[in-house]
Amino acid sequence: MSRDGDALIKGASKANVGRQVRLVDTTLRDGEQTAGVVFANQEKVRIARLLDDIGVHELEVGSPWLCEEERDAMREIVSLELDAPTLAFCRADVQDIEYAASTGVDGVVISASTSDQHIATKYGKDRDWLMGRVGEAVEAAKDAGLPFVVSAEDASRTGMDFLLTFAVAAQEMGAERFRFCDSLSVLDPFVSYQRIQTIVGTLDIPVEVHCHNDFGMATANSLAGLRAGATHVTVSINGLGERTGNAALEEVVMALRHLDGVEIGVSTAHFREISEYVARASSRAIPIWKAIVGTNVFAHESGIHADGIIKNPLTYEVFSPDEVGLARQLVVGKHSGSRTIQHKFKEFGIDLSDHEANEILALARQTSIDLKRALFEKELMYIYRDFIRDNEQRMAQDRVGVMDEDED
Amino acid sequence: MRENFAGFLLQRPAGTIAGPVHIDDTTLRDGEQTAGVVFANEEKLRIAKMLDEVGVHQIEAGIPTMGGAEKEAVTQIAALDLNCSILAWNRAVIADVQASLDCGVDAVAISMSASDIHIEHKLRQSREWVLDSVKRAVVFAKDRNVYVSVNAEDASRADMEFLLAFARTAREAGADRVRFCDTLGILDPFSTFMKIKTLIDVVGIDVEMHTHNDFGMATANAIAGIKAGASYVNTTVNGLGERAGNAALEELAMALKYIEGMKLGLRTGKFRELSEYVAAASNRPIPTWKPIVGANLFVYECENRANATMIDPSTYEVFSPESVGLTRRYVYGKYSGADSLKAKFREHDIALTDDEAAILTCRVRSKSVALKRSLFDDELIDTYHTEIEAVREELRGSRSSDDDAPDPVETAARDAVAAMNAVSAPNAAAAPNVVPAQGKVNDES
Repeated sequence: MSRDGDALIKGASKANVGRQVRLVDTTLRDGEQTAGVVFANQEKVRIARLLDDIGVHELEVGSPWLCEEERDAMREIVSLELDAPTLAFCRADVQDIEYAASTGVDGVVISASTSDQHIATKYGKDRDWLMGRVGEAVEAAKDAGLPFVVSAEDASRTGMDFLLTFAVAAQEMGAERFRFCDSLSVLDPFVSYQRIQTIVGTLDIPVEVHCHNDFGMATANSLAGLRAGATHVTVSINGLGERTGNAALEEVVMALRHLDGVEIGVSTAHFREISEYVARASSRAIPIWKAIVGTNVFAHESGIHADGIIKNPLTYEVFSPDEVGLARQLVVGKHSGSRTIQHKFKEFGIDLSDHEANEILALARQTSIDLKRALFEKELMYIYRDFIRDNEQRMAQDRVGVMDEDED
Repeated sequence: MRENFAGFLLQRPAGTIAGPVHIDDTTLRDGEQTAGVVFANEEKLRIAKMLDEVGVHQIEAGIPTMGGAEKEAVTQIAALDLNCSILAWNRAVIADVQASLDCGVDAVAISMSASDIHIEHKLRQSREWVLDSVKRAVVFAKDRNVYVSVNAEDASRADMEFLLAFARTAREAGADRVRFCDTLGILDPFSTFMKIKTLIDVVGIDVEMHTHNDFGMATANAIAGIKAGASYVNTTVNGLGERAGNAALEELAMALKYIEGMKLGLRTGKFRELSEYVAAASNRPIPTWKPIVGANLFVYECENRANATMIDPSTYEVFSPESVGLTRRYVYGKYSGADSLKAKFREHDIALTDDEAAILTCRVRSKSVALKRSLFDDELIDTYHTEIEAVREELRGSRSSDDDAPDPVETAARDAVAAMNAVSAPNAAAAPNVVPAQGKVNDES
């Protein structure tokens, strides 16, 4: 990276993240748009309520042009009178705006693809046509008295000149804010930072970053955008969204808190519960290793890690499991050490000597290798009982042996 | 071919920051260290062979000091005579290093905590003891002529001055590189960049990135380190590893290639196969939405996306499915439209009129919503045979009625939903709520 690059890095200090970061949750829109995911209406309402309860700032609640059932769900969410303003996701299409208005949402997102690739292949049109369509949709939103966000789809593959022209036009039309979408997730955090910084420097209205996870960088790119001056960030529970998904709400909130030191007023203790609910409703189980909410992220097996955790959890944990509604577990398996064995048995009310712990560790490791997995607590107890029994038999045999050496 | 590994150092052009990057895969060590994951020895061997075929430069094969089956596995992997270097993991303990040497590996990693919190609370030792232990273990290993990586565990929480002293000690003792471990996954890409750049500028030693995914930033942080000049990166297949895992081999390789424009020379076409094998061996199935290798990444259902992809895949794809061993598929269901359905039936020598296709689309959507999935080809054909007469009947009826009759697509869809809601009423949670009306178009951002 060039010298300019170094200056960029220094400039991208976490102190630059504004205190007023706003989360825009799109679990109900981009999340449901994921191929194969369908929420029932009552699930949508429940998810909206859960998101509002934990303090998410804005909710994108659906795509109103889809059908009457979708609009019904949106109306029901609106009728809850949540603290979070509700947004409808619309294409740059007058009819879509009218559908949105019929649901009573607080505002609309007007989405248009800005890359030449999308304008040519998807729309089969040109930039002038696109600007015209956006202008018509904006007029419709104004007529309906709906505040609007202008969203640039595939913004990351759009030439910066046209993107800025488009963004400035959106601002002049009266957009509340401008959304930058890395739709195919082709950016890394450094380039995200540069692009967002340029846009923020050009516009007077707030900027929102919307990232996808195709290369595993959705959260990092979102955080980079916030450091560059974006104030809003699109998130979804579990990162649910098209293809590989969006930036996960739980990752963004915890990264802001623990890496950037920014508290945005979202309560985290129910993260696991909400993640579980959305996982069920979307039929997409949470991988046990999912960052922040996976059941395995506070499981420690290896001797070195478990030993550290027993001495002081801060050796291997940045935050406590309670903070996100999880629990810590010490797992016994191939990589365990004798300290874990002693600690585990103390939980069962059994004090093991160092020698006993080592003997049981060897048996536990072998069992784990044979079974190709970590052991359940019950299996650990069976190993202990067998160990005690074998010891007693050996001692008994020794006694017999002393008394009568000839006996078999 | 082991000498190639040392040769990599020479390939790196002097003075450039972003030189060649070498993959050091730790699926067999940090991957297996994951709570609950145990590989059978034959699985370890198979994974090592597959990694070598993919073209990774080094494999971290295991922890010989554990003895028993683990030591045997490392010995067997070293004996495979693969193209890549074989590295074994050690604490900074002479006996550990000796156990590794017994296995016949050509490289050792000597690991030691670098943060005060680890030194005080886990090791209950002093900084001096840490530096002494590193020095002794490195000298012992270098005397026996193996490549040495010194792993600075918890480096991201270490005092920077001490980390520099740690790295300097390693270099002076003869270590070939320092592995920077963000053990708890607490860095962001910008702070990673600054730390790695400082380490390289001040100490002047090769640096390897080892990142964790606790905040979802493992891949981004590894790339940040590489941008700052790190020339090695520790990966695992599927991102397997302690807690939330490590940087995933497949994400890193593809991001370096397609986002950063670096060529690693890996055979990425084998990624899906490798991921599947490791998923099975670790008993951790690949989520269908997993970046790079998820089974659903190149599946198109939505009419607009399907059509745009047929015209030009780059509308929605950064790389081709074949480049990672996946295939592009078009499925037919809730988001399908009449055009793609007509094309699909044409494959089966069934010619549909526009009107027939429009109504049949509704039947297909309804069936998909009811099943909560897309349809198999057989189900599509079956839908055609069972529905076509009714469709034609409906068309004859609508033709004879008023011209202002409601759009047949809308009507049929609405009827279908009403019927399905009635059917699924007992299980309200599963009741379908969305009926796509006129096709869901240009709908993703």
